[in-house]
Amino acid sequence: MSTTIVQNKAYKNKQKVKDNFISAFIGFFAFVWIFPILWTIWTSLRPYNDIISYGVFSWPRHLNLDNYFHAFRVMGLTHYFLNTLYVTIPAVLLTLFLGSLIAFVVSRYSFRFNLSLLLLFTAGNMLPIVLTYIPVFWLYIKIGDLLGNRSLLYNNYLGIVLVHVAFQVGFATFVLSSYMKTVPKEISESAIIDGASVFRHYWNVMLPLLRPPLAALGVLMSCWIYNDFFWALILMSEDSKRPVTSALRQLQGQYITDFNLLAAGASIVAAPTVILFFVLRKQFVSGLTLGSTKG
Amino acid sequence: MKTATANKKVRSRRSLSRNDRFTLAAFIGIPTLMQIIFLWLPALITIVLSFTYWNGINVSDIKWAGLANYKNIFFGTPVFYEALKNNLIWLLWFTFLATPLGILLAYQIDRKIKGHKVFETVFYIPVVLSLAIIGIIWNFMFQPGGFIQGVMGRDIGNAVSIWGNYSINTYVIMGVASWRHIGYIMLLYLAGLKSVDPSLREAAAIDGATEWQTFRKIVLPAMRPVNIIIVVITIIESLRAFDLVYIIYGTSTAWPLLNILVFQNFAGQGISMKGAAYAVILLVLCIGPILLYLRNVFKEDLK
Amino acid sequence: MSDVNNGISRRSVLKGAAIGGAGLAAGGSLLAGCGKKKVTGDVHFTIRGNLSDAGAKIAIAANDAYTKKSGNKVISQAVNSDDFQNNFVQIMQGTPDDAFGWMAGWRTNARADSGLLADLSDQVKALGSSLSAAAIQGATNPSDGKQYIIPTTYYPWGLHYRKSTMTELGLNPESIATWDDLIKLCEATQKKGLVGYALGDKGGWEAMGTFDILNMRLNGYQFHIDLLNGKEKWTDAKVVDVFTHMGQLIPYMNKNVLDISWDGMRDLLLQKKAGAMMMGSWFANDFLAKSQADYDDLWIVPFPEINPEHGVDSIDAPLDGISVAANGKNVEGGKDLAGFLGSKEGIDAAVAAGDTNIYISSDFDSSKYDAFNKQKLAVLGAAKNIGFFLDRDTRGDFAGPVVGPAIQSFLKNPKDLTKILDNTQAQWDALPAL
Repeated sequence: MSTTIVQNKAYKNKQKVKDNFISAFIGFFAFVWIFPILWTIWTSLRPYNDIISYGVFSWPRHLNLDNYFHAFRVMGLTHYFLNTLYVTIPAVLLTLFLGSLIAFVVSRYSFRFNLSLLLLFTAGNMLPIVLTYIPVFWLYIKIGDLLGNRSLLYNNYLGIVLVHVAFQVGFATFVLSSYMKTVPKEISESAIIDGASVFRHYWNVMLPLLRPPLAALGVLMSCWIYNDFFWALILMSEDSKRPVTSALRQLQGQYITDFNLLAAGASIVAAPTVILFFVLRKQFVSGLTLGSTKG
Repeated sequence: MKTATANKKVRSRRSLSRNDRFTLAAFIGIPTLMQIIFLWLPALITIVLSFTYWNGINVSDIKWAGLANYKNIFFGTPVFYEALKNNLIWLLWFTFLATPLGILLAYQIDRKIKGHKVFETVFYIPVVLSLAIIGIIWNFMFQPGGFIQGVMGRDIGNAVSIWGNYSINTYVIMGVASWRHIGYIMLLYLAGLKSVDPSLREAAAIDGATEWQTFRKIVLPAMRPVNIIIVVITIIESLRAFDLVYIIYGTSTAWPLLNILVFQNFAGQGISMKGAAYAVILLVLCIGPILLYLRNVFKEDLK
Repeated sequence: MSDVNNGISRRSVLKGAAIGGAGLAAGGSLLAGCGKKKVTGDVHFTIRGNLSDAGAKIAIAANDAYTKKSGNKVISQAVNSDDFQNNFVQIMQGTPDDAFGWMAGWRTNARADSGLLADLSDQVKALGSSLSAAAIQGATNPSDGKQYIIPTTYYPWGLHYRKSTMTELGLNPESIATWDDLIKLCEATQKKGLVGYALGDKGGWEAMGTFDILNMRLNGYQFHIDLLNGKEKWTDAKVVDVFTHMGQLIPYMNKNVLDISWDGMRDLLLQKKAGAMMMGSWFANDFLAKSQADYDDLWIVPFPEINPEHGVDSIDAPLDGISVAANGKNVEGGKDLAGFLGSKEGIDAAVAAGDTNIYISSDFDSSKYDAFNKQKLAVLGAAKNIGFFLDRDTRGDFAGPVVGPAIQSFLKNPKDLTKILDNTQAQWDALPAL
C-alpha cells in the first residue's frame, strides 16, 4: 500500500513538471494564435500619418481611437450594422421557431415518417452551398416576377433571411429533437389527458421547457448568420443593403491603402461575435455539445 | 393500472381532433416546404442542369448535353485535377495535423492544466470571426506591405511572394485554415470529454497508467461517437472549403478548389453548366461523409 | 460574333478621332434638340471600382453635370469591378442599376443577344457626326446591327515607363526597335536594381496584354483574331513561338507575378521600382491623383517590332463606354444619361474633373490633349489593326476560365508549355455552341 502511494507521489511530481512544460508550450502557441488579432488591433490604434512618416515598426508616438471614430463616420458602419440586424434577428427567430415545430412533432408523436424527416433536415444542413446558390437566384427572380415584385426576394432582406433559415433549420431541428428526447414523456401525456390541443401542447407545455437549448442555439446561430458574407454578395445587387460582413469586401477595396482605417473597421465588425462569445460562453459550449453528441 | 395507461395512450392517438391534425400538418408542412423550396429544389435543379448546355439567361436556350460536361471536366480540364489535389491536401492536412492537434489541445485543457481557461478562449476566438474578417487579418500579415514582409525587411517592390509562391502558399493557406479549424475541433472535443466518466480515468491513474496511455486506451475509445462526428466534420470542411480562398484569390484559379471552380463556371463571365457539373461532383464526394454522420447519429433510431 | 471580318478595320476608329478632333464645331449633335421626349425620374448608375478611385470621382462629376442639365437625380453606387463582372449576368437579370460603365466587344454583344442590354441605337444616332463611322462600328453588335453601348473612352496597350527613371538609368525606350533592344533594356534596368518588366497576373487577365501583343507582333493581327475565334489552333508552332518569347521575359519580371494584380503592377511603376510595364493606359488617372509631377513623368511607347513582316502594325486598344440594362427600373432615364455621357457636355464635365483618358468622340478637342495623351494617340495612330484585348475579343467562357489559367500555369512552369497548349486547344474544342 505504502509503495503505491509513494509511487503515485513520485509519478504525480513528474507529471506536474511535464504539465508545467505543456502549459508553457501551449501558452506560447496561444500567443502565436492571438498575435494576428493583436496586430490588427495594434494597427488600428495608430494614426495613419504615423505609419507613413515613421514606418510600420516604428515606436508609437500616438495611440488613439481616432481610426475607430473615423471608420464609423466614413465607412457607414452604423448603416451596415442595421442591415445585419434586419437579417440576423428574423433569421434566428424563424429558424428556432420552425426547428422547434419539427422537433416537437417528431419527438412527441410517432409518425412513420418521423425518421425520414429528421434525416432530411439534418442532411440538408450539410449540403455544399455552391450546389444551390445559382438556382436560388433564379427562383427568387421567378417568384418575384410571379408575385409582381421582382425585388420581393432578390436584393431584399427577406430573401437572405429565407435562405439562411433553410440552411440552418436542420441543425436546430436536430439539436432540439435530441434535447426533447430527454424531456419525460409524462409531461406530454398529462397535457394530452388534460385535453390540450396540439398547439397548446407545443406552446404552453414544451416550448417553455426548451429554454436552455433555444438559448444555446440562438447564440450559435446568431454567430453563424452574422458571420456569413457570401449570400448577400450573390443575392443583393445594392451594396447599401448588404450586411456588414459582406460590405467589408467593398470597404476593403476602397480603403486598401489606408490599412489602419481598415484594421479599425475590421475590429469593429469582429467585436459583436467576440463579445457574444465571451459573455455567453456557456451557451456556446452547450449548443455545440448538444449538436455533437446525442442526448 | 397498466392497461388504463395503455388505453389512454391508444385513445389519445386515435382522438386527434381535426384542429389538431391541421396544426400538426402545418407544423410539419411549413418548415418542410421551406426546406424543399429553398434547399432541395435548387439542389435538384443544379443536378439536372449539369446534364445540359446553357448560358444561364434564357430558359429557351437550354439544350440537352448528356454526360458532355462531365467528360469535359474529367478529360479536358487539368485545373480540375489541380483543384482535387488541393482539396485532398486540405483533407490530409486537417485529418493528420489540425484535427489531432485540436483533440490533444482539448484533452490537455480538460485536464485543467495551468491557464486552461485562457487557452480555451484564445484558441476558439478565430472560430467566431467571420471569414471576411479573417481574410483581412491575414492579408495584413502577408500581403506586400504587411507584417511578415516587414519583419523580413521587404516593402512592396521586392516583397516575397506568398500567395503566389507555389512552393509555400499551400502551407500558408492550410495554416490559416487550421488557425480556425483547430479551435473548432478543440471545443467540440472538449464538450464531448465532459461526458467521459471521470472514475474511469481515476481508476487508470491508480493503476499507474501514464496520461498518454490513459488517453489512448480509455478516453479515445469512450469518445467513439464524438470521434466519428469529428471525422465527418473534418472531411466536410475540407470539401466545402471556399470562403477563405475566395477572399484571398477571388475567382481566379490561382489556387484552385472545387468550390472555386463551381463559382468560376456557374457564375462569372462565361456561364456554363460545367459549373453545375462541378457542384454535383462535390455533392457526390460529400455523400459518403454525410451518410456516415447520419448513420452514426441516428444509430438507435435506425435499428 | 466578333466584328473582325467586317470591311472597316478598327484602326479607322482611332484615326477618325485623332484627325477629326480639331475640325468639328462645338455642339456636334445636330439632331439632339429636335422632338426629344423629356425623360424624368431618378437614374441609377453603377461605377465599377471603388469610390476612392480617381475614375469614380470623374464619373460622379459627369453624372452631376447631367443632373444639372436634365433635372434628374443620378444615384451612383460603386461596386467592386471583379464582383460586378463575375455576377454580371445575375445582376442584369435581377434588379440592375439603369446605366453603368461597360466594355465594347463580346461582353456587350453577347449580353445584348441574350436580351440583357437596352438598345442604344437612337442615342448613337443623336450623337450624330461626333462619332465616326468606325467608332459606331466598334460599338455595333454584328448580329443585329444595333448599338448597345455608347462608346466613350479608349486607350492603347503599350510599354509604360517613367521618363525620370529611364533618364537616371541612361536608357531611352523610344529608341528600342527590336526584340533584342527590349531585352537589353530590361537587362540594363535589372542591373540597376529595378524590375525590368513589371507584371502582376493574380487576376488572370493582366498577362493577356503581353500575350496579345507578342502574338500580333510575331504572327500578325489576322492570325491573332483567327486564333481567338477558333480558326487557328493553340498547338500551332506560331503560338509556341509566342510563349517562348514570353518565357524570355520571365527572368526580368518581378518575382511575385502571381501575387499581385494590375494595381500592384501600377504601384511598382508609381513607386519607381520598375522599368517598363505592358499595360493599358487607363491607370494614368491614378498617377495624376498622386501628383501632377508623377503624371507628367509617365510615358508610353509601342511594343517594339519583332517580326519585320508585321512591324508595329497592330495594337490592343479596348473601347469602353456606357451601357443600359434592359431590366432597369428607369430604362429611358438610363438611355438619356448614357447619351449625355457620350456627348460633348458629358465629356467636358469629365475632363474638367480631371479625366486624362482619350475620348473617341470628335467632340473632344484633341488640340487640348496633354503631352501624354498626344503620345497615346501617336501610339494608336501608328497601328493599322486594332484588337479589343483577348477577353473582349473571344468568348467569355473561354477567356477567363481557360486562357487566364493557362497563362498563369505557363508563368508558374514554363516547361509545361506543350501540355498547357494541348489542353487549351482541347478546351476550345469542347466548348458548347453558343
